[in-house]
Amino acid sequence: MSSTRVRKTAPVVRPATQLAGRTAARPRPRSRRLRPLVPYALLAPALLVLAGVLGFPLYRLVSLSFQQYGLKELFAGKGTFIGLRNYRDILSDGFFWTVVARTVVFAAVCVGLTMALGTLVALLLRNLGRPMRVLVTAGLVAAWAMPTLTAVSIWQWLFDFEFGLVNWLLTRLGVDGYTQHNWFDQPLQGFAVIVVVVVWAALPFVAITLHAGLTQVPAELEEAARVDGAGAVQVFRHITFPVLKPIFLILATLSTIWDFKVFTQIWVLLNQRPSREYFLLGIWSYSESFGVTRYGKGAAIAVVMVLLLMLLVSFYVRQMLKAVGP
Amino acid sequence: MSIPRRRRALAILALALALTLGAAACGGSSGDGDKSTAQSGPRTLTIWLMTGSAPPAVVDAVNAEWKKAHPNDTVKVELQQWNNVTTKLDAAIAGSNPPDVVELGNTLVSKYAAAGALQDLTASRGQFENNQAWLQSLTESCTMDGKLVCAPYLAGSRAVIYRKSMFAKAGISKAPASIQELRADAQKLMSSFGSDKRFSAFYFPGKYWYAALPFVWDHGGEIAVQDGGKWRGALDSAEAQAGLAELKALVDCCSRADKQGDELKQDQAFAQGHIAMIVANGWEKGVILDKKEGNPKLEKDLAAFPLPSRTSGQTAPVFLGGSDLGIAAKSKNQDLALDWVKLLAGTNFQTQMATVGGVIPNTTTLLDLHADDPYLSVFDATAKNSRFTPTSPNWANVEAANVLPDMLVSIFTGRASIPDATKQASNQITDVLNTGS
Amino acid sequence: MTRKRLARAGYNAAAVLVLLVTVFPIYWMVATGFKRGPDILSFEPKWLPIPGTLENYRTAIGKPNFVQDVANSVVVVVVTVLVSLALAFLAALAAARFRFRGRAALIVMLIVVQMVPLEALIIPIYLMLDHAGQTDRLAGIIVTYLTFVLPFSIWTLRGFIVNIPEELEEAAMVDGCTRAGAFRRILFPLVAPGLVATAVFAFIQVWNDYLIAYVLLRSPEKQTLGIWLASFTTNHGTQWGGVMAGSTLFAIPAVVFFLLVQRRVVTGLTAGAVKG
Repeated sequence: MSSTRVRKTAPVVRPATQLAGRTAARPRPRSRRLRPLVPYALLAPALLVLAGVLGFPLYRLVSLSFQQYGLKELFAGKGTFIGLRNYRDILSDGFFWTVVARTVVFAAVCVGLTMALGTLVALLLRNLGRPMRVLVTAGLVAAWAMPTLTAVSIWQWLFDFEFGLVNWLLTRLGVDGYTQHNWFDQPLQGFAVIVVVVVWAALPFVAITLHAGLTQVPAELEEAARVDGAGAVQVFRHITFPVLKPIFLILATLSTIWDFKVFTQIWVLLNQRPSREYFLLGIWSYSESFGVTRYGKGAAIAVVMVLLLMLLVSFYVRQMLKAVGP
Repeated sequence: MSIPRRRRALAILALALALTLGAAACGGSSGDGDKSTAQSGPRTLTIWLMTGSAPPAVVDAVNAEWKKAHPNDTVKVELQQWNNVTTKLDAAIAGSNPPDVVELGNTLVSKYAAAGALQDLTASRGQFENNQAWLQSLTESCTMDGKLVCAPYLAGSRAVIYRKSMFAKAGISKAPASIQELRADAQKLMSSFGSDKRFSAFYFPGKYWYAALPFVWDHGGEIAVQDGGKWRGALDSAEAQAGLAELKALVDCCSRADKQGDELKQDQAFAQGHIAMIVANGWEKGVILDKKEGNPKLEKDLAAFPLPSRTSGQTAPVFLGGSDLGIAAKSKNQDLALDWVKLLAGTNFQTQMATVGGVIPNTTTLLDLHADDPYLSVFDATAKNSRFTPTSPNWANVEAANVLPDMLVSIFTGRASIPDATKQASNQITDVLNTGS
Repeated sequence: MTRKRLARAGYNAAAVLVLLVTVFPIYWMVATGFKRGPDILSFEPKWLPIPGTLENYRTAIGKPNFVQDVANSVVVVVVTVLVSLALAFLAALAAARFRFRGRAALIVMLIVVQMVPLEALIIPIYLMLDHAGQTDRLAGIIVTYLTFVLPFSIWTLRGFIVNIPEELEEAAMVDGCTRAGAFRRILFPLVAPGLVATAVFAFIQVWNDYLIAYVLLRSPEKQTLGIWLASFTTNHGTQWGGVMAGSTLFAIPAVVFFLLVQRRVVTGLTAGAVKG
C-alpha cells in the first residue's frame, strides 16, 4: 500500500455547515466486514478503568447521600440509612436556594464574560498585523498555561490587603479608602475578584479557539455583505456567528460545567475558610463533608449539584445527540 | 500485513497494565512492614507531626532514644501541613492503615476521640512522667468522659508583644497593669504616631478569636456552659457582651488592622514597623525577626507583657493553644507507639522542646525553664492562668463553621450590634454543640 | 486613508491592553520571585526586581524532598498522559467510527461524569484504594488521575476523529488494507494534532492537582509538586517570595509544553470542535 500517496492529501477542512449535514447515509465499501463486537473491545480498556475506579466511588457517593454518616460512622465503616432525609433537609433549607441561585448567577456571569470577551479578543486577533498578533497570542498562551494554583496565588497577592498592587493603584488614582482594603469584605466585591481570576484563566482558551474557528468563515461572504452596506455588527450576527455556532456551543457548555464546579479559586482566595456568603454548591458540599463531618449531607449536596448541572446543559447535550445519530 | 485489531487492543491493554504496575514498582513503599500482624517481624512505627511543632533535632533525638529499646523496628516521622489536615486525617483514620501516633491540635481532639479513633490511655497514665503536673487545660483537652485519650504535648499561650522604642516615644514608662491602662496607653500611642495612616497602636485582625476570648473570660463570660446534659451557647450573657464591648472600643480607637483578616499575617505586618502592640504567641517573635520575611533589626526593641485584667495587677485568662499526642485505636503497634509518646512527653525531651523550640512544655514542673529569659517567662506565666474551649466533640464543628470569627467580624465592621451578633452566635453554638451526630 | 490608520491604531491599542492584562500578572509573579524580602513586603511597589536575589529560589528548591517531588510529579504525569492517550484513543475510535448499541448513552455518560465535583469523591476513592492497598503509592494516584482525565480525553479525541473523512480510510481499504491497517496508517497520523491537544489537557489537569495527591499520599518521599507548592502557606503566614518563586518553577513545564504544541492544539481543536 502506498502510504505516501495518502499522506500528500491534506485533510479537507470543510465549513461547519457542510460537515453538519454529513451524517446522511453513504455507501459502505464492499470490502468492509461487519464485526459487531469490535467497538466493544476497543471501549473495554477505558471503560474498565472508569468503571473500576470511578464506578465504585460514584456508587458510594449516591449511597452516602441516603445515610447519616459522621466521623463515628466513617471510623466504624458503616452508616445509618435514613432514606431521603438528607435531601429533604437540603431542599427545605432556605440557604440551599440561596446557594443555588448564587452558583447559577456566578457561573452565568463567568461564562458570559468569558465568551463575550473571548469573542472580542478573537475578532481583535483577526484584525491585527502579524507581529502584533503573534505577541498577543503568546501572551494568551502564557496565561492559559498557568496552573490554577499559580494563577490564584498571583491574583491573591495582587489584591492583598496591605501590599497588593491593586490597592496601591487605586490609592494613587485618588480613590478614597483603598490604602488598606480587604476585597473580600463585601461578598459582591469579593466575587468580582473571583470572577476576574476565573475569567482571566479561561479567556485564552476561548479566544484562541474562536480565532482559529474564524479562519473558517468564508471571507468572500463577509466582503459581499459589507459591500451590500451591512454594518460590522450585522456582518457578525448574520454571517460570522452562524459559522462559529458549533464551536461556540461547545465552548459555552464546557465553560458552564467548569465554572459551575469552581472550588479551588474561592477556597484559596479566602484562606481555606470562606464564610457562608461565599458558599457555592461545591464549597458547601466540601464544608459539610470535611468541615462539619456530615458526609451524608455533603454527598447529597454533590448529587443535587450534578443533577442541576445536567439540567442546565441538557439543551446542548440534545443537540449533540442529534448530530451523533442513533 | 497488519496486526488483527483485537490483538492490538489486548496489546495496548497489556501495555497500560504494565506501565501501571511498573509505576507501582518504582513507587513502592518501604513501609509494608506495618501491615503484617506478625508480632515477631520488624515493625514500622508511623508518626504524624505537624510542621513547625518540634525542632528536627529533638525529633531525631527521640527517635534515637526509642531505637535503643526497639533495635529491630523502625520509626517513620511524617510532617503534615496544617491546611486541610482534617481531610487527610479523616481519610487516614477511616482506612486500614492509620498513622500510629498523631499530633492533634488540642481543639480537634474531642472530635476524633468521640468517633472512637483514639486509644484509651487511662490505664497507662501512670507511665507518663509528670502526669500529675500536666498543664490543666491541655489535660482537659485530653479528657473525654473521664477517660484519658491522649497525652499533652506542647502549649502556646499569648501575651502582648510591643515595641519598646514606641512606648518610650509616647511617654509610657511601664507596661500597663490593667486593661484600662492599656487603652490609655494605646490612645497615647495613637496621638504620637497616628498621622501615619497605616499605624496601629493595638493591631487586632478581626477574626482573631483566640485573642478575643481573654476579654470575654476576664469579665466572667463563657463561650458555652453545660446545663444538665446539654450545652448552651453563652456569649450573649451580659458579662461576655461587656468583654466584647471593651475589645471593640480598643479596636475602634487604636487598630487599623484588617477587620476581616486573621492573625496569620500579623508578624510580617509587625515587622514593617507601623505597629506598636500585637497579641501573639511566644514563637511569633521568631517570625517577626526572620531574616527573609521579617526585620531582624527589631531584636533589641521587642518585649512582652501579659494581657492585663480589668482588675489592676492581675492578668486576663488566656486561651491555651497547643497540641496533644494521640495513639490511633486501630494501630497495630500500640506498645511501640506508647513508648514513643512517653519519650516525647517526658521530662528530658520536654525540656529540650522548651529550650530549643521555645514552646511551653506540657507540665508545670518545667515552667520555670525560661525563668531567666525575660521574654519567654512572660508567656509561661500567662500559661498558668489559661482556659480552654468547651470540651464537646462537636466543638471542632463550631470552629469549622467559623462561628466566632464571623461574629467578631460583624461586630467590628459594625454590621451587627453586639447583642445581635452574640445572640446569633450563641444560638449557632447551642445548635452545633448539641448535634446528635 | 487616515480612517484605516485610526482603525489600525485602535486595534493595536486594544491589543496592548489585552497583552497587559494577560502578561502583567505573570511578570509580577516572576519579578516577585527575584525580589528581596523587604522589597516584596513594601507599601510602595518595586517595579523591577533590582537588586535581585536568588534567595527565594534557593528556599523553594531547598525544601526537603524537592528533587523527589519533581521526579514523582514527572513520573505520574507522563504515565497518566501516555496511558490515558492509549485508552482514550481506542475508546474514541469506537465511539467515532462504529455504530453500536449504547453509543448515545456512552456520550451522555462521558459528559455527565465530568460534572461530578472531585472533592465529593475523595473519601470513597481513598477507602477503595485503601482496600486495594494502593494508598501512598504512585500507582494509586495514577489510576485515580486516569479516571478523571479519561472522559474528557475520549470526548475530545472522538471529536477529532469524527472530523477526518472516512473516505480516506475507505480508499485505503479498497486498496486492500484491513480496517486496523487503515486506522494505523491513515487515521493515526491525521489525528496526531488531536492526540497532542488531548495530551496537553491531560497534562495540565494532572500537573495542577493538589487535593488528590494530598489525601492519597503520605510518605515524605512520595509527595508531588502540587503539595510542595501549597507548603509555602503555613500557620505562620505565607512566604510570598517563596510562593512566587515556587509558582514560577511550577508553571515552567506547563508553559514550555504549551508553547511547543500550541499551534497543533488549536488547529486540532477547531477541527474537532466543529463536529463536537
